[in-house]
Amino acid sequence: MTFQPASVLFDKNVIRRVYERRVRLALGQPPTLLQAEAANAYDRLCALTNRLYITEQIANILQRRPAVFASAFLADTRTLKKARYLRRWARRLRELSFSPEDAIIIAYGSFGIDLTMPAVGVEIIVTGDLKLASHFNARQEEIRRRFENMISSLSEPYQTLVLPSIVTPTDILLV
Amino acid sequence: MERLIVDEEGKITIPQEIIHKRGLRPGDELALIETAEGLLVYQGGVDLKSQQRWDSLNENERRLAIEEARRYEALSEQEREAIWQADAESIEPEAESDEIDLPTR
Repeated sequence: MTFQPASVLFDKNVIRRVYERRVRLALGQPPTLLQAEAANAYDRLCALTNRLYITEQIANILQRRPAVFASAFLADTRTLKKARYLRRWARRLRELSFSPEDAIIIAYGSFGIDLTMPAVGVEIIVTGDLKLASHFNARQEEIRRRFENMISSLSEPYQTLVLPSIVTPTDILLV
Repeated sequence: MERLIVDEEGKITIPQEIIHKRGLRPGDELALIETAEGLLVYQGGVDLKSQQRWDSLNENERRLAIEEARRYEALSEQEREAIWQADAESIEPEAESDEIDLPTR
């Protein structure tokens, strides 16, 4: 099977685990299982595409962390900005029992804009939150229906937007 | 999950089913990662990027990294959570002023 995602958005859990894996490496300590998985998935995706993204929140957090750990993430990734209707879509996702934090990351997957290209949305979101991934996948049909309903009522450039897939670091390592 | 038995020489045998499923061939390299909880076997190697990043640091940067790593490890889980929960983004309509219009073709 060929696995070649064109664009990837990392959620906060994944970035945090890779960050903490590197903290432990500096101390000569082994990573935890979750950190090892996240770091391996991150590594694999870095080799597959240069369109790696983080949200504005994660970028802000990393910018305040010491450069010796944070600068590599900021160099590997680009920050998605919010296109119009991102929050509106996030609020609709809330109606499907996603937390505000989960709703916004999913919404970035469709309405996050890379101003350097410009390109909108990503092919996959990698999350370390298993509940988010399974909830999204279980309700995908309903989410897709709502998404299509919403974008069909928007102006032309928004009508081509798509829903991302949501996967976990384990999924990345198994393909 | 598969149960593996270590023999007297320290060797383990990967079940045939997994070999076929993963497309493993003689000579393929697997990474054995020692984690805090146990051992992990990965097809495709360890995260070289973290190691390469560490190897690329000069002596001064490594000293800084170790100092920072010690500070981070000394934080409580609550303090770490606070770092990673900062700047949570609102989904309320009042926050929408920073949203960017997509260009029309």
